[in-house]
Amino acid sequence: MTSVLAELGRVSKSYGNVPVLKGVDFEVRAGEVHALLGGNGAGKSTLMKILAGLIAPSAGRVSIGGAPLSPATPAQAQAMGLYLVPQEAHIFPNQSVLENICIGLPRRAEAYRTRIRDLIAELGVALSPDAKASTLEIADRQVVEILRGLVREAKVLILDEPTSALTPHEVETLFERMRALRETGHGLVFISHKLHELRAVSDRITVLRDGYVMHSAKMSESGDAEILAAMSPGVGALRERRADRARAERKTLEVTGLCGEGFVDISFDLHHGEVLGLTGVVGAGRTELAETLVGLRPRAGGKIALEGRPFLARTPREAVRQNVVILSEDRQQYGLFLDAPLFWNTSSLVHYLLPFVLRPSAERARFEGYRKTLGIKCETADQPVRSLSGGNQQKVLLSKCLAAKPRVLILDEPTRGVDVGARNDIYELIEQLADAGTAVLLISSDFDEVVRLSDRIAVMAGGHLVGALAGGSSTDEIAQLAFESKEAAHA
Amino acid sequence: MLERIARERVATLFLVTVIVLLLVGMAAPGFLSARTASIIWSNGLVLMLVALGIFPVILTRNIDVSGGSVLGLSAVTLGLTVNAGAPLPVGIAAALGAGAAAGALNGGLVALLGVPSIVATLGTLGLFRGVMLIATGGEWIEELPQGVKDLADKGFFGLSAIGIVALAVIVVVWLVLRTRRGRWIFAVGDNREAARHLGLPVRRIEFFAFVWAGLMYAIAGIAFAAQIGFVPNQAGSGLELRAIAALVLGGISLLGGVGSVAGVVIGVIFFTSIDTALVFLKIPAYWNDLIGGAMLLAVLLIDGRLRIALEARDRAARYRRGGTQPSKSRDLEEAA
Ligand SMILES: Nc1ncnc2c1ncn2[C@@H]1O[C@H](COP(=O)(O)OP(=O)(O)OP(=O)(O)O)[C@@H](O)[C@H]1O
Ligand SMILES: [Mg+2]
Repeated sequence: MTSVLAELGRVSKSYGNVPVLKGVDFEVRAGEVHALLGGNGAGKSTLMKILAGLIAPSAGRVSIGGAPLSPATPAQAQAMGLYLVPQEAHIFPNQSVLENICIGLPRRAEAYRTRIRDLIAELGVALSPDAKASTLEIADRQVVEILRGLVREAKVLILDEPTSALTPHEVETLFERMRALRETGHGLVFISHKLHELRAVSDRITVLRDGYVMHSAKMSESGDAEILAAMSPGVGALRERRADRARAERKTLEVTGLCGEGFVDISFDLHHGEVLGLTGVVGAGRTELAETLVGLRPRAGGKIALEGRPFLARTPREAVRQNVVILSEDRQQYGLFLDAPLFWNTSSLVHYLLPFVLRPSAERARFEGYRKTLGIKCETADQPVRSLSGGNQQKVLLSKCLAAKPRVLILDEPTRGVDVGARNDIYELIEQLADAGTAVLLISSDFDEVVRLSDRIAVMAGGHLVGALAGGSSTDEIAQLAFESKEAAHA
Repeated sequence: MLERIARERVATLFLVTVIVLLLVGMAAPGFLSARTASIIWSNGLVLMLVALGIFPVILTRNIDVSGGSVLGLSAVTLGLTVNAGAPLPVGIAAALGAGAAAGALNGGLVALLGVPSIVATLGTLGLFRGVMLIATGGEWIEELPQGVKDLADKGFFGLSAIGIVALAVIVVVWLVLRTRRGRWIFAVGDNREAARHLGLPVRRIEFFAFVWAGLMYAIAGIAFAAQIGFVPNQAGSGLELRAIAALVLGGISLLGGVGSVAGVVIGVIFFTSIDTALVFLKIPAYWNDLIGGAMLLAVLLIDGRLRIALEARDRAARYRRGGTQPSKSRDLEEAA
């Protein structure tokens, strides 16, 4: 019998009189990776924050290494050998990457420099320890969080959706580290919405739904259907890619020789009602390209035409007015007004359409519409976005973009942190939008997602468009193109 | 070289200060002397101590506007105890105690009860001034014993006792901020939630920042009493805003997490030099505020513009790397 490193006993948690966890048992054993799965808002992050001393439970026991966690503070949990890599990266923008990783450790940051350089090399990411953290993009920030966890060598390491911004290559190297930790008797918890990722590293799986444990067993003994049924009754696996459709002749967006920050000479057409997948490894320049299209970044050269007419957006406002809309990859920083009510967020892109004196009832109704179509899990339209679970925040972000009635919709990692059920819904929605004529540029590091949705696929690496694939290509083809070009760019 | 200076707010400000002093020196011969330096130092002492007190509070992304009142309260505590016949060390200890207690009250309100610091210290600003006025019955405290005034007398290398204390404080802050725990102070101001996640004792750090501030105001109060030899009932009033202005000038971000001791020192010296220079130029004292304010705005504006320009250049440089090789792009249409 393996030893139990951390344990939650009959843990409950309510916010106000809304119960989130209803008597959950959970344990982390030495030499095991424990997968934790559940729909958006099921209570996974809450449960792990309780284990890490960040949130006090309403009832129940928390113990680490056999002793109760008391006082229930993060410092105490860490002292007892438990570390949580949170879902949303928390960084200190004015400090260096190295300081960000090492702060709170017993020795000075410099003492860990070689160790961290090794870890960075091992993960295969391009991250300089001396870069100022405010310059990091979201994937790199997530890597900083992961490195914090790895360098601490905590006996129990909890990873809350560490892979949501990573590309398959980085995910695989992270898995290797996790396996190594498991071999040395560490206990790990791994949260992800991607079942194949969970299968790749986990020994045990627990499924949460509505605050209850619905399933808990060895991974090898749990079938996909069983797991999905436990997660949410009516949801099947992700549906297949739909059949190829004829491409409309009408070009909605024509980009010729576009240059800007981090990319050069990009040319492509985006047709009426088409989904163009744009993928590549982290740092390929995809987000920079997208942000340049809507005027968030300066354009260095090249031409853009919208419906055959020159399109020049110097600010996102000008872009929105012409119904060119971007969904930011970084919902917390650029996408949402975290402390504003949900319905304000939904109307925030189309504020210029609102009457001089606001009519909150109309805005609430608008939100209510999207709540139904997207299945946003919330209490009222008036609660702040911050109080939603990660995946539900993502849906609010999507509602904001849809409210602008986009002609061109640029989606930058639209399903980051979204559960399987909602992912299905969002995919369906994207397909419906495309059918209705919206031209969609889908940026995603999730190759499966790109294949699933795209009519055509473009691959970027090192700031160049390195190749184009027909819809329905395999993920292997994409990976080959993306990584080969990355190596070439580095050489 | 110029680039380095432009990048560092402290260096920019240092350069501006030197230029201003040189210009004044040309206009008023005799200004550039050791004596002027000594005058600037002692004129700036009280402001320096108050600024060094607020400094860590601002680093943690809080603010403390009760400094002037705590200064007054401490000075009065000193005056009342020594004038009642207590020996000087007892008086000093009482003043420091009053300052620390005031700081602990501020810290308790902010760190333990979670009152926003601007609200808490606006409240205690009035409270402490009120306590002081009640303690003195609204009177000034005059005729402080010679022992108190001696604290401001030049001795060792032309430095007074309080001057030496101020120097020591500068060194202490500099040292503390270089330690591992010193970084924590920056971390709390940079991202409080992140600091909490990493298990840093956020509340304790905030609390001690306020207690430290209280202690520094107390030392400033003692310095104030020693320098002028009596305690008016508006002692220190408005000083906190001057101190905050000096901090901002020295590159300490009101958003927390950014700043250096060198910035504090140079910010205070800049302010004091202007006042001193105006005296030398025989400009009436009522011009001080206007000229000081205008200089503050000018420096911040130029500095801000400079920073934006540098950032734009850095960005361009960052993206130029690896972006200018001959195009490998293929047109999408070929493959599709
Ligand atoms: N501060 C809060 N106030 C009110 N409700 C909250 C608060 N924090 C979380 N909740 C609610 O608790 C529920 C569980 O949230 P939690 O973040 O644990 O979900 P999750 O399983 O991690 O979901 P996801 O997969 O989207 O990250 C959600 O319905 C959320 O709305
Ligand atoms: Mg979560």
